[in-house]
Amino acid sequence: MAQKTGFQTDEKALIRAAQEGDQDAFGQLVRAYDQSVLRLAMNLLRSPEDAQDVYQEAFLRVYRNLNSFRFDCSFHTWLYRIVTNLCLDQMRKRKVRKEESSQFEGTDGPVDRMDTLQESRVDGNPQRRLFSGELRQRIQKALGELSARERMVFELRHYQGLKLRNIGEILGTSEEAAKNCLFRATQKMRVALGDFV
Amino acid sequence: MNSCEKIRTQLSMLLYGELSFDEEEAVDAHLESCAECRTALERERELHAALDQAQAEPPASVLWESRQNLKERIAAEHGPSSSRRVSWWDRFLDTAWLKPVGGLALVTVGFLGARLTPDLGLGITGMSLADPGAQRVRSVEPSPDGGIQIVLDETRQRVVSGGLDDQKIRVLLLSAAKDPSDPGLRYETVGILNDRAQAAEVRDTLIYALEHDENAGVRLKAMDGLRPFVKQPEVRKALAGVLLSDGNPGMRTQAIDLLTQGVGESTGPALGRDIIGTLQELMNRENNAYVRQRGQRVLQLVNASQETY
Repeated sequence: MAQKTGFQTDEKALIRAAQEGDQDAFGQLVRAYDQSVLRLAMNLLRSPEDAQDVYQEAFLRVYRNLNSFRFDCSFHTWLYRIVTNLCLDQMRKRKVRKEESSQFEGTDGPVDRMDTLQESRVDGNPQRRLFSGELRQRIQKALGELSARERMVFELRHYQGLKLRNIGEILGTSEEAAKNCLFRATQKMRVALGDFV
Repeated sequence: MNSCEKIRTQLSMLLYGELSFDEEEAVDAHLESCAECRTALERERELHAALDQAQAEPPASVLWESRQNLKERIAAEHGPSSSRRVSWWDRFLDTAWLKPVGGLALVTVGFLGARLTPDLGLGITGMSLADPGAQRVRSVEPSPDGGIQIVLDETRQRVVSGGLDDQKIRVLLLSAAKDPSDPGLRYETVGILNDRAQAAEVRDTLIYALEHDENAGVRLKAMDGLRPFVKQPEVRKALAGVLLSDGNPGMRTQAIDLLTQGVGESTGPALGRDIIGTLQELMNRENNAYVRQRGQRVLQLVNASQETY
């Protein structure tokens, strides 16, 4: 995430250039933020395909609407409003359809796509894999039981490292409401994982 | 709600740095006089560290594909008659022609203006990747032929080739392994360096990652690369450091396994006094039940006492 003062100055110039049709400037704006956008979408939706859809839609909306950006908030906040709305829509649709798109049928039963993704990143030590695999499953299950808003606030605070004030701004709510939401989320996580850590 | 109950509801917010000044003062004052709440705070820290493990880092290939798709969709919005000039964005993404030759790694290297460095002829020797004015490694990923593809951010790009043992490639990889801004890049780079850990400079970089990297995935990967060198004093020292100070219980468990591998088997090695001392120290401070159990088992195998006094 590019939030340093120097970059912010450059960022303003980049946005103005992109608004005037400079493709290079737009490319640099995308690359300043796209890794964190993809990470956010992937963590929330637990599906690389859905995360890629959100990535595409979010940056296309930015591209199409960049001229309406008036610097009333930071570019980061504006972009994250778009991304979080897309993710929340997707998460709510899943709840309505009762769809478990993060899972598919493996030979030994349902397998979480995120587990297969991360499994490729660890070595063959069976004991460690068992430990971290079990813990990850417990965490994913507990995260899956949070409401869409709790999940979003928790993701933005714990994994993306945003301050509650900024999270409130992104989600169109107060800092206090975001804090209450985070409080509920952490309580639920503690109850779900308390005997494991 | 008594004061302990109230304080415990605030511990998570304390760790997130989201308490007001007055709230934090009250929590700190209470913690100074309440051992039980200090223990609760440690458990909260353990919980936060455990939660860190669940974060997924998008693979470089998914990011690459997303950028490529976005480029195509934006081009489609312009229509086929668009006569845009070929941009930095296009050049960065247009990698179809980057086909590695033979067993060579293919490296996409950006240049800053005409800065050429005589040592390598590439303008990359001795550069600081953290320096915003210099080139920066954006991603590292294996190519299908077993080579490596490295992408650096710059205003212009050019392609150079080299094998894994090539010094210029190694300079880039050693720098990328410490790039503070991109854990995904560090993870991929450390994975590639693991195959060359017999070289002292590579091993030093892996030890640095093991001791200092903030991302547990990168630290785990570095530990994997050091596995064959666990008998070397500097590696043992680093693993002992992990055992006593790494916040991630999975890392501590793995460090125990590496430092004590073969212990207890009939032909296994005797456990050194230094490692026994480290394990006893661990027993003094370890809160995680699983890690404690692992440490206790090893100490029982060598008939050592469970704790130091």
